[in-house]
Amino acid sequence: MRRREFWVLVTPSVIVMFGFMLVPLYRTVRWSFQKVEYGAPGTSVGLSNYSGALTDPRLGRAVLFTLLLTLVVTAFCLVFGYILASLVNQLGRMRPVVLGLVLIPYVLPHVVGAVAFSWLFDTNFGGIVNFVVNGVTGGMLGEPLWFTSVWPNRLMIAANAVWFMLPFAMLMILAGLQGVSTETLEAAEIDGASPLQRHLHVIIPSIRGVLGFVLLIFTMDVLRIFDSLIALSPQAVSLGNESLMLYIYNVAFREGAVNLGLGSAISVLTILLILVLLYPSIRTLVREAKAA
Amino acid sequence: MTVDLTAAEGVHPRRTLAAADEATTVHPPRPGRRRRRTVAVISALVLVATCVLMVAPFLWAAFSSVKPTDVAFSNPPVFRFGPTFQPYVDLWQTTNFYLYLANTVIVAVISTVVALAVGLPCAYALSRYAGPASLILLVLALIFRALPRFAVVLPMYEISKSIGIYDTRVALAAALIAINQPFTIWLLRNFFTEIPRELDEAAMVDGCTRFGVLRRIMIPLMGPGILTAGIFIFLFAFQEYLTAAVLTDINAKTVPVFIATQIGQNLPLLQQASAATVLLTLPVVGIAFIAQKYLVAGLASGAVKG
Repeated sequence: MRRREFWVLVTPSVIVMFGFMLVPLYRTVRWSFQKVEYGAPGTSVGLSNYSGALTDPRLGRAVLFTLLLTLVVTAFCLVFGYILASLVNQLGRMRPVVLGLVLIPYVLPHVVGAVAFSWLFDTNFGGIVNFVVNGVTGGMLGEPLWFTSVWPNRLMIAANAVWFMLPFAMLMILAGLQGVSTETLEAAEIDGASPLQRHLHVIIPSIRGVLGFVLLIFTMDVLRIFDSLIALSPQAVSLGNESLMLYIYNVAFREGAVNLGLGSAISVLTILLILVLLYPSIRTLVREAKAA
Repeated sequence: MTVDLTAAEGVHPRRTLAAADEATTVHPPRPGRRRRRTVAVISALVLVATCVLMVAPFLWAAFSSVKPTDVAFSNPPVFRFGPTFQPYVDLWQTTNFYLYLANTVIVAVISTVVALAVGLPCAYALSRYAGPASLILLVLALIFRALPRFAVVLPMYEISKSIGIYDTRVALAAALIAINQPFTIWLLRNFFTEIPRELDEAAMVDGCTRFGVLRRIMIPLMGPGILTAGIFIFLFAFQEYLTAAVLTDINAKTVPVFIATQIGQNLPLLQQASAATVLLTLPVVGIAFIAQKYLVAGLASGAVKG
């Protein structure tokens, strides 16, 4: 392809993508050095938004909470997603039914899914979770305060994140399993490898790439978790269950936009973190391009 | 090893167990057979339990939306009641639900069509041109795909207010096209890469121009790929809460924003929200089943997620 053709073909997309994203992005970076409100020019305050961000205990709590959530949800979804994918991979004609049902939480808007999820736990909405768990265990669960007590609320948030992210992990791993060589698996079986050994020494090493990719996407997605907390944790601020993105929303939009500069500074810091996380993928891309 | 299909259907997992026991009393089993049977039953149970848990929130919302209002929220929950569709009637008559639904669908359709029209030529060029510009664009698109939304959406809020398009469908659609563009070109580029270059060359030898190749050869060949990308862009636009919550107020509000604002309301409104959830979920469930092949193909191509 000639250079001129290339530029004619990519220009509309470049204008849309960079015109509509770089201009706002530039403004966020500039705001991060200003004391500013919507609709008014800001005054430069140097690095004080950044120093304010790094010394704010509320932000510290939000970062800790988000990291904990990321760790728990990612670990659980990787392990359980692998198990589920292996099970679905052995299914015959039931496979489309199972996949269709499992896809529902993935295609539903997250905020709507979270609202529906919160109703399962809400005692003002029947409290079906308490009812069922207490019915099965003979009242062992009691009546936890799912929305106003720190750890029950965290447990519910993590359960919801697993609920809507597990389908993605499962489908990615399932796609990876299609590529595992059957010859190697048969060879392992003939050599007397037990099913567990086949998983640990044949299947998992050959889908390492897929697992790494899922890990990367999960880390970035849970770091950016926002929608579901709106529904699941109305008292997130006082409970300390604010995620990083919810914190930005609260200080830079909802609470009268008094701290737009601070919110922007945190956005910039998040972008830097994401660049670090993406670095290995970018390096792979560049290496592949050079090899081609 | 195969999973017991009757058990996987979730019909009578217990009967399967009993049948297994019966079988073992008549014919003494080969060693290991009973264990294999147990493994199959356990895996079927895990699958059934997962499926039930995946649809439970939706089922409960649907269940609550057809209860009479006086028992809809009683605790412990009531399971015997005369079903009513009053919340659905109220939802249509007393709220602007139809407007929000129209907004959601129109914005999703516009952003899907424009995103594809703009993204297709770009993705094709990226799959065929090997220069450094191609690599730089791909890397930038990868970074843009991972940006935290607020870094672009809050300035968009200010810009849309200052040029007077705040709270319009156009502003929301434009924002979503831009936000989903990196994903669009990555996914389409991965599909284009699978089409051999020799095809382009052959067509050009026969006198086709580069743009003719794209229009006459690539786009017809890319049918399923374009459909897959379209379904994902539509879904992302339809799901979007954060951008819609910031860029809309009354006129261009979407259904996810509407449902989220109903959470703290009084009980009849809450029941209407559950009716809205059901109305929004049903078509999506349809998509999950009908378009499953394309969703799985898109996920498998490894470019997914906004």
